[in-house]
Amino acid sequence: MPAVIIRTKLRQQFHKCNLKHCKSMKKNRMMLCRYRCSWEKTLRIMKISLVLLVFCGLTLSASPTKGQNQSVTLEVENATILDVFRQIEEVSNLGFFFKNDQLDLKKRYSLNLENASVEEILNQVLDLNDYDYQIVGENVVVTRKTSGFAVSPQQSSVSGTVTDAAGEPVPGVTVTIKGTTTGTITDVDGHYELNNVSEDATLVFSFVGMKTREVLVESGVINVQLEEAVIGLDEIVAIGYGRMKKADVTSSVSTVKSDDFVKGGVRDVGQLIQGKVAGLTVTSPSGDPTGNTEIRLRGNTTLYGTSTAPLILIDGVPGDFNSVAPEDIESIDVLKDGSAAAIYGTRGTNGVIIITTKRASGIYDAKVEYTGYVSTQQIANELDVLTADDYRRQINEGIRSESDDLGASTNWLDEITRTPVSQVHNLTIRGGDVKTNYLASVNFNDRKGIFLKSNKETFTARTDINHSMFDGVLKVNFGIISRNIKYGTTGDGYGFNGYTYRQALIYNPTAPVKLEDGDWYENVGAFNYDNPVARIKESEGENKNQWSRVNGNIVFNPFDGMSVKALLSYSKYNQTRGYYETRNHISTKRSGLNGYGSNGAIESIDRLVELTGEYQKTFDLHHFSILGGYSYSDNDWRDFYMTNQEFPTDEFGYNNIDLGQGIEQQGTSSGIGSSRSKTNLIGFFSRGTYSFANKYLFMGSVRYEAASQLWGTEDPWGLFPSASVGWRISEEPFMAGVGFVEDLKLRAGYGVTGTQPSASFLGVATLGYTGQVNINDKWVQTIGPTRNENPYLRWEEKKETNVGVDFAFINGRIGGSIDYYNREIDGLLWDFAVPVPPNMVGTTTANVGVMSNKGLEFLVNAIPVRNSDIEWSTTVSFSTNTNKLKSLSNELYQTEKDYFTTGGTGEPIQTYTHRVDIGGPIGNFYGFKVVDVDENGKWIYQDGEGNLVSYDDFERSDENKQVLGNGLPKYYASWNHNLRYKNFDLSITMRGAFDYQILNFERMYLENTKTTQYNRLQSAYDPVFGKAVLSNEVDLEYNSYYIEDGDFWKIDNITLGYNIPLKGDTFKSFRVYASSLNTLTITGYKGIDPEVTASGLAPGNDNRDKYPTTRTFTLGVNVSF
Amino acid sequence: MMALFFTMPSCTKLENENFSEFIAEDFTPTESDLPRITRAAYGDWRKVLLLWDGYWRVQEVSADQVVIPARPNGWVDGGVHKRIFMHTWLPSDPIVNETWYRSYAGINNCNRVMFQLESLLDEEEAAPAIAELRALRASYYYVLCDVYGNVPIVTDFDVPDGYLPEQNTRKEVYDFVVKELEESIPYLTEENNSETYGRFNEWAARTLLAKVYLNAEVWSGTPQWDKCIAQCDSVILSNKYSLEPDQKNVFVTENQNSNEIIYGISIDENYTTDWNAFDIHMQTLQPSNQATYDMTHTPWGGMCAVPQFIETFDSEDKRLINNFIYGQQYSSSGDMLYCTMGDLAGEPLAYINEIPSIDASQEIHGFRFGKFEIAMGASNILNNDFPLFRYADILMMKAECLLRTGYSDEAAQIVTQIRERAFPVTSGKAAVTGDELLQGSVYDYGVRDNNSTTFEGGGDIPYGRFLDELGWEFNQEGRRRQDLIRFGVFAEKSWFSHSPEGDYRELFPIPLNVMDTNSKLQQNPGY
Repeated sequence: MPAVIIRTKLRQQFHKCNLKHCKSMKKNRMMLCRYRCSWEKTLRIMKISLVLLVFCGLTLSASPTKGQNQSVTLEVENATILDVFRQIEEVSNLGFFFKNDQLDLKKRYSLNLENASVEEILNQVLDLNDYDYQIVGENVVVTRKTSGFAVSPQQSSVSGTVTDAAGEPVPGVTVTIKGTTTGTITDVDGHYELNNVSEDATLVFSFVGMKTREVLVESGVINVQLEEAVIGLDEIVAIGYGRMKKADVTSSVSTVKSDDFVKGGVRDVGQLIQGKVAGLTVTSPSGDPTGNTEIRLRGNTTLYGTSTAPLILIDGVPGDFNSVAPEDIESIDVLKDGSAAAIYGTRGTNGVIIITTKRASGIYDAKVEYTGYVSTQQIANELDVLTADDYRRQINEGIRSESDDLGASTNWLDEITRTPVSQVHNLTIRGGDVKTNYLASVNFNDRKGIFLKSNKETFTARTDINHSMFDGVLKVNFGIISRNIKYGTTGDGYGFNGYTYRQALIYNPTAPVKLEDGDWYENVGAFNYDNPVARIKESEGENKNQWSRVNGNIVFNPFDGMSVKALLSYSKYNQTRGYYETRNHISTKRSGLNGYGSNGAIESIDRLVELTGEYQKTFDLHHFSILGGYSYSDNDWRDFYMTNQEFPTDEFGYNNIDLGQGIEQQGTSSGIGSSRSKTNLIGFFSRGTYSFANKYLFMGSVRYEAASQLWGTEDPWGLFPSASVGWRISEEPFMAGVGFVEDLKLRAGYGVTGTQPSASFLGVATLGYTGQVNINDKWVQTIGPTRNENPYLRWEEKKETNVGVDFAFINGRIGGSIDYYNREIDGLLWDFAVPVPPNMVGTTTANVGVMSNKGLEFLVNAIPVRNSDIEWSTTVSFSTNTNKLKSLSNELYQTEKDYFTTGGTGEPIQTYTHRVDIGGPIGNFYGFKVVDVDENGKWIYQDGEGNLVSYDDFERSDENKQVLGNGLPKYYASWNHNLRYKNFDLSITMRGAFDYQILNFERMYLENTKTTQYNRLQSAYDPVFGKAVLSNEVDLEYNSYYIEDGDFWKIDNITLGYNIPLKGDTFKSFRVYASSLNTLTITGYKGIDPEVTASGLAPGNDNRDKYPTTRTFTLGVNVSF
Repeated sequence: MMALFFTMPSCTKLENENFSEFIAEDFTPTESDLPRITRAAYGDWRKVLLLWDGYWRVQEVSADQVVIPARPNGWVDGGVHKRIFMHTWLPSDPIVNETWYRSYAGINNCNRVMFQLESLLDEEEAAPAIAELRALRASYYYVLCDVYGNVPIVTDFDVPDGYLPEQNTRKEVYDFVVKELEESIPYLTEENNSETYGRFNEWAARTLLAKVYLNAEVWSGTPQWDKCIAQCDSVILSNKYSLEPDQKNVFVTENQNSNEIIYGISIDENYTTDWNAFDIHMQTLQPSNQATYDMTHTPWGGMCAVPQFIETFDSEDKRLINNFIYGQQYSSSGDMLYCTMGDLAGEPLAYINEIPSIDASQEIHGFRFGKFEIAMGASNILNNDFPLFRYADILMMKAECLLRTGYSDEAAQIVTQIRERAFPVTSGKAAVTGDELLQGSVYDYGVRDNNSTTFEGGGDIPYGRFLDELGWEFNQEGRRRQDLIRFGVFAEKSWFSHSPEGDYRELFPIPLNVMDTNSKLQQNPGY
């Protein structure tokens, strides 16, 4: 946007703005209605102080406020008139308005005025022959007298009023003379005036949320009515290395703006867009406050687990979902298909998520926003295990041996859980003018989990500064993000150990928490059976990590249409962690540790250089752009750890680790470790777009890239091309008569993306120190092979075709898109089983797999009701995915076997849970099928040939296993609502997944009646198949009885907000809200939550050690000053 | 300013620094690296034998002395322990996989090191090291020949892409092992000292060759009793080894200096730290026994002796008394220990020679294994070295061959010599006659658990009494299956909950994963 006006004031004021009018306007216009607050200037100074604080670490205090009519003292030397204005602004609460071409900046002033009134100063400064001024409220409008300024004869002045469709004046509309940087903005009455406008000029009226209009200057008065923009069409969306109008996009890109984010106590960025993007599955597979959401785009893309995460860019720099606070995000764009993501080459396969943080956006913003909330959680669905009373009843009934009664009554889950209270505070300040502006935000997030000692504290601070020089020829951006996370650990290096939760379920409810002598009750003889309370109380740890990023970019616009950009980023992650298990911890009793301490540290440095050049040109109806660039990024990772045991005291925990004697006594072969790795990624890329008459659109891109992970292979460089075309049917003449169609666009694209192996040196044979042997009574490290070589190793390559339609009807009241995709992933990495001998190890990492994912995505936005009191907008999305593993061999190694098994039940069942057949989908459960029980409660199986076989006769072999279901949902749907009634707003998000199965581990392990050493679920006594309680002679087993349908429909997020009508001057807006997350689930699934992990090769396993998912209730406020 | 953060990297160079491994192509070993490379191939023996589901378990749990019954704290594990005992193992079971992969890891290591040595040293320099590696490699093939029989012989490291090894018959593998040993023995050192401890010197190689000849009838179809005797004799005549006065000495914690050990696998809790490096004690003791030995770790209690086997012992046999743990258990300070789990929780922990069935047992059931001394304060890894070959075995191999070739009295002299360590002089029970050795076994074979009882006895087993002698002397040493097969018992008799499953079970199947990756392999008959 061209610089149209120079304003020294840090904010825009429209003191006459009509409140009622404001409220009826769209939100983004409401920001323009500013009310004076008496301490506004204090805040301004605070803002500056904060910036200084961040950069210099200085402490400044805000200066006292000054009243409006107070006299001021001014002292300047050799200053321009602009400097004088700034000085006056500093000491008063006045703001100056003037046009940039009307001030004489050559004239210098030296003044020394004490306790003068503003008017006195102005009279002295402004040579009243040259300038006129007028004080309107707190605005000083300075104009140059026409008499003193030679106006060329062909130029005239133009004025007028801008109104909206309802005829109400619109303040703040930018009015520019086309092709120049000259312009103005409308005042509070929607009025504008421009001088020196040549008669053949065109005026451009633009305003956010309105359709831009261009009007030829034909008379001195031009009144303009602006129409509201159709939703989305003028929206700017982020594409790789640039931005584009949504209307011009030819690939599958989804945008979610902050207004549409999921509200309430979200855990990370992923949850903000849960259910908002068709084809993007966001799940929160656990309630762990240190955990993240899990995200998947258009199905499974990998076998090897190379990378399942999308590339997440935060303002152009790779990061993760925790890099910025959710409250600090302006919009999220998701590049879904191959043609959109191909410009990111090797990192594009899982999609690209472009996060745009809130920005200082120049002339309209000068404000402080505060967002804060408190929330609490509960287990989404508590499992019913036997209580102490149940135990005693069973003993009386003779079902259980008397030795099971240990005399106490303990609810173990209650003992380790709590009602957590979490809080989040976010403060954002932004301001500046069109030349220099800034944003600073601080975010404090204190999240508590439902389990004791399970928590996470995050403090994030961010600043972003923009400066534009030489009339916009050079723009500089500088940003810093600093994030500090601290969380308690009850596991070595990680937050909460889910195994402790398992213990709470299986622990004998008649066991006391503590013995009479104060010791914890423990039974070390039973496998995997620890007092859960003791596990938590006798361990103590803390992980702290600090991540900071400094990034800057310089954009050089040497001439119209050309821009050259250099982006530099340096980020550094540091973690320090410590963990201690006391001498009373079970680890002492079970493994003789006598106090276990652990310390560790990680340092990871990422550097990025990106150079891009872009040229855009429009002539006649043609528009084209071309972009070229180079990207270099590298990572340097180091870590250290040490562990020790045999501590003489628990007093110092892990903080005095040399106190332990473990290293001396146990030898140095364990206890100390360090590692380091360096990787880099180098890419060249280019993109061209061409459009004709805004109707026929084309985009093509190519990336040529190499990653160090492929070092040593025959060809580490890969080429990733893409092409896409679009046809805006709605722009065709024949559509002119179809009035209700705002937009109709057909899109088709094809693109290739890759995934690099995650580990380095997979292509070359390596030798390592592999163990110790005794030579002549000394132990020495031996050198042996650690990897087979595979010089043919290359990228996994995804080739994706995407066909789509974008549409908008009836003034944008209905809009949406439909996409069909077909992705074929070639050269999937797999630890391919190779024969031993001749290979050194049994697997070689090779590109052997081919997998396809096909699906349909459908998203419709509608605004069924919209009037001044009520607005209801709703979004429906639906997506499907079918997955197939087409091949698992390459030219070199052909396998006999057309399947592989994966997933695991864990001990003591010890078998795989899934099987992937070549030609079949990922996610098939594979095991024994039970169809009935006999009168004794023993399984009746159906064998591989369909015969019914009794429990005792059934042969438990692989041949008698069969497909029992599939863990990947075939359909996903969501239905979201936003309702506004007067000052109330209500949003509801709902989503579901259909046609898939879940293996319920809790039931599999805890419904068995033979296992006597562990507690079990109440449901263990429900008749199996409605017939008989499972026999206590039946071993634990993985079979079809524990596989359940997972289909669910969740009313996930409900948020009710109220905008408090404001009377005073203090607040610009004040909203309070109440919100719930994971509110209600409609499902037949008996476990805690049917939304289980869908990633990896064993989707649908609802693991017993999973931190239970939670329901969250939140109360919050959003305030802006 | 930002540019200061960067030293502009060379723009297209890929990072190639590796901080934990050598890139094989770039690695040039120094003099001091040589032993690290050559000895790497020895490390696999311990893994083959002792890691979870290793050769030790293959040999012992499939036989008539050791069982892992279900316990109050588990040990069902999807039926894997039961399947090995009942001879119903599946080609996909870990017990079938592990010996294959670990043995071939050793073979591949030998091949690789030989390949490296050949390129580093001239032929003459390399000869002794190559010979030692060939003997070592032969020892891994010996395991494969014993367990799987028909396995591919691979002797090259440098094979073309996509090379699939051809299968060899058991006879070919047998011949290969014999040839390799015979050819390498002349180059091997005759020394027996701390330098050669845990390595293939001439005597270790000859012991291995004797063992191969001992099983020649099973493995190649032709018995080689005389050849076995010849190898035993050369070891005996070397005068480098002798019987310990007490068998216990061979199995104490600090046993590396025992003159009875011909080939010992070094184990040290601080250096051989794989989980399950050597944990027979963890697998056999009940949790409460932690207090008996002040162990740092709580044992897992499961594996115990088959009651019928214990019944074969003479009650005065010191090997019964020393090699097994039974009766009331006490802490190191003399307190009585109690059961902590199951139906008998709170009852005294006193091991009895009785197990209800492989499917159900309590903590007290079954005698436990204590042949390897459990040091006070032991961790989860025993520090004792494992004597893979020992002098008593040389003597007993010779005795068996003598017995089988008609020299029963000569055999009896040797057996008596071994028995003298086990029986007090006064009892007169040490002496055994040739005639006695020709009798059947005293092992009361037959199914014997609380579900069913059959009586098969052992009287019909040729040289059964000698088999008993082997059982008494060498129990818990990872070899019973081989002996049972040689005496025709393995696939014929029932014991405890086990009944015969078929002769084909004398060989293990080629593991399923291996079959799946090498189309040139044929599954062993019966599977």
